[in-house]
Amino acid sequence: MVTKLKEVDAVIVGLGWTGGILAKELTEAGLKVVALERGAPRSTDKDYSLPNIRDELRYVVRHDLMQNTARDTITIRNNPGQEALPMRRLGSFLPGEVVGGSGVHWSGHTWRWTDMEFKIRSNYEERYGKKFIPEDMTIQDWGITYAELEPYYDKFEYVAAVAGKAGNIKGQIQPGGNPFEAAREREYALPPLTPILASEMFSEAARNAGYHPFPRPSANATQPYTNPDGAKFGACQYCGYCQRFGCEANAKGSPHMTVIPIAMRNPNFELRTHSWVTKVLKDSDGKRVTGVAYTNLLNGEELEQPASMVLLCAYAINNVHLMLLSGIGEPYDPAAQKGIIGKNYCYQTGTGATLFFEGKFFNPFMSAGGSNATFDDFNVNWDFDRGPHNFVGAYNVSGGFNTALPIGYRPVPSGTPQWGSEWKRATAKWYQTAMTINAAGSVMANRYNCFDLDPTYRNAFGQPLMRMTFDYKTNEHKVGTHAAQVINDIAKSMNPTKLNPASARTDPWTVVPYQSTHNTGGTIMGTNPRDSALNKYLQSWDCHNLFVVGANVFPHNASYNPTGPVGALAYWTADAIKNRYLKNPQPLVPA
Amino acid sequence: MKVQIGGTASVLVLLLIGGAYADGDVTRGEARFQDCAACHKLEAGANNVGPSLHDIFTRKAGTLEDFRYSPAMKRSGIVWTPEALEKFIADPQATVPANRMPYAGMANPSDRADLIAYLQKMTK
Repeated sequence: MVTKLKEVDAVIVGLGWTGGILAKELTEAGLKVVALERGAPRSTDKDYSLPNIRDELRYVVRHDLMQNTARDTITIRNNPGQEALPMRRLGSFLPGEVVGGSGVHWSGHTWRWTDMEFKIRSNYEERYGKKFIPEDMTIQDWGITYAELEPYYDKFEYVAAVAGKAGNIKGQIQPGGNPFEAAREREYALPPLTPILASEMFSEAARNAGYHPFPRPSANATQPYTNPDGAKFGACQYCGYCQRFGCEANAKGSPHMTVIPIAMRNPNFELRTHSWVTKVLKDSDGKRVTGVAYTNLLNGEELEQPASMVLLCAYAINNVHLMLLSGIGEPYDPAAQKGIIGKNYCYQTGTGATLFFEGKFFNPFMSAGGSNATFDDFNVNWDFDRGPHNFVGAYNVSGGFNTALPIGYRPVPSGTPQWGSEWKRATAKWYQTAMTINAAGSVMANRYNCFDLDPTYRNAFGQPLMRMTFDYKTNEHKVGTHAAQVINDIAKSMNPTKLNPASARTDPWTVVPYQSTHNTGGTIMGTNPRDSALNKYLQSWDCHNLFVVGANVFPHNASYNPTGPVGALAYWTADAIKNRYLKNPQPLVPA
Repeated sequence: MKVQIGGTASVLVLLLIGGAYADGDVTRGEARFQDCAACHKLEAGANNVGPSLHDIFTRKAGTLEDFRYSPAMKRSGIVWTPEALEKFIADPQATVPANRMPYAGMANPSDRADLIAYLQKMTK
């Protein structure tokens, strides 16, 4: 027996950054909005303050803020020839499951992706010719421009209290910032984080090598701050518990202490937690969606929430899963290269070195989410000629720490036994002396990397699990090889006592250990319904009253963290709905 | 510049004689309160990440019934006089070791005087 509820103007599935932004914006525009969130309500005062925080067992080992894989998970394989098996325990990536979503446990790194990404195929074809892009690399232009998104990046950065140093204001290069960034209209909301010794040493070595290091922009408030919506931030205390934790000082820009409480105060808004959406419902001709079906996890009751508009704002992977489960759009078939939903799943790649300096005291337990210095000479710098290296994409290099946990972070020189008294001696000796240099690399879309529904395994609701088919391709191996060389050259120039050098990964991707929660694609945006699931306003080409918001819309993955464009696109979509769609509910771009 | 130096000096003198904070500037104190506002509210009963500061200057530390204090704060024995709060806010961990307030401290004495002047006005 399904209980059918009263129709509302909009139902939001998932209440993290994107759901929170849309909830706030649309309720302020007068819409009646219901948000359905799988997870529990949590707040800084009750949950993210001592003694409930800084607990590595609870948050890092037992994944307290993350998706519960006993209820729903995904199956994984490297290529279509393999049988996919369920991921029984989270590892490589950590989708959040709580009010605030992954925006509670992120580090705060906030970047502006530029036209280098949005016009990727055009850029490479123009400079290197069509043949430079491998045949199985299914990259495409996004159908949006940096100029269109700039005001929305700005909006998100000021809401989330992003601290940084501008490198380019209205075309004027700014000393101390990233000279390769796209022009911004004004400075960051807050000045950059205080550099730590490791990032200062890295910056000096990088500058000596001719690169252009700058402080990493991050939503870690460097001083008390009131955002444009009136949300109050405390100053970052450099306590070191950022990634995987909620912030006890209310210093990390998070939806649960910014956009969501504002929506909660609006009588137009209702939040239902512990609500698991199983399907988006369509009308009889399949041209519109009519609401969602969901289960109350606390009592098992099945409900239907009718709505004039459905906004999928869950974690990227779960948004794609819901599209496949609901039969919206044509599922992607990698063999025939037909269909769209599930296409262009991408991840990130990386490599890193650990440097040991006898006599140094880095105090790695004291850091903020963005306490690294970074350089983009091999990233958003189009003057870096990819031709001789024969790859598409980029990587950024950073040095320092963020969230080097007192228990979990145990750097030792390679060759040290992995347990026993010798390991104990080594970890005590080297803990204070180690710093890291890392590269984060892009992953280009490939015809074989994709999502579909698993033919065998099912979740607690009897629905097919999502199946992920993913591996790194030759292009990514080349990015990693180049990055490892650059990192090792810098590391050697710093004369460490010992060095665990970076090496390019060529082994297949696996679901352990943790790599990054930067899963992208599956319902990609674009210029036409043949090549994309959504138009540039993240509106479904198939059902015009369905919007799908999150990193699942990215046609490929850059080296930068995704939250900047995720937040900016949420505001962009909110404006498109408020200013255009509500007045004339139809496709915002002709098919 | 001259005004600032004079201001600081007079605050120090006042502290030495046992401290009225009449010299603190309430307007500047409101700006200093931004350090606190992400966690503390001034209204009665409005506990947040930190306890409500309403009527703070009449109470013993760690005694609001519906706020979960650290054991360190509960056993501190502090009575929140302006002087006691001034000392605490200068270096919270040194004054009450192992308290749970995530705040490094307000280093400048004239800032603290402004803050306390503001709190004296606003917490009644």
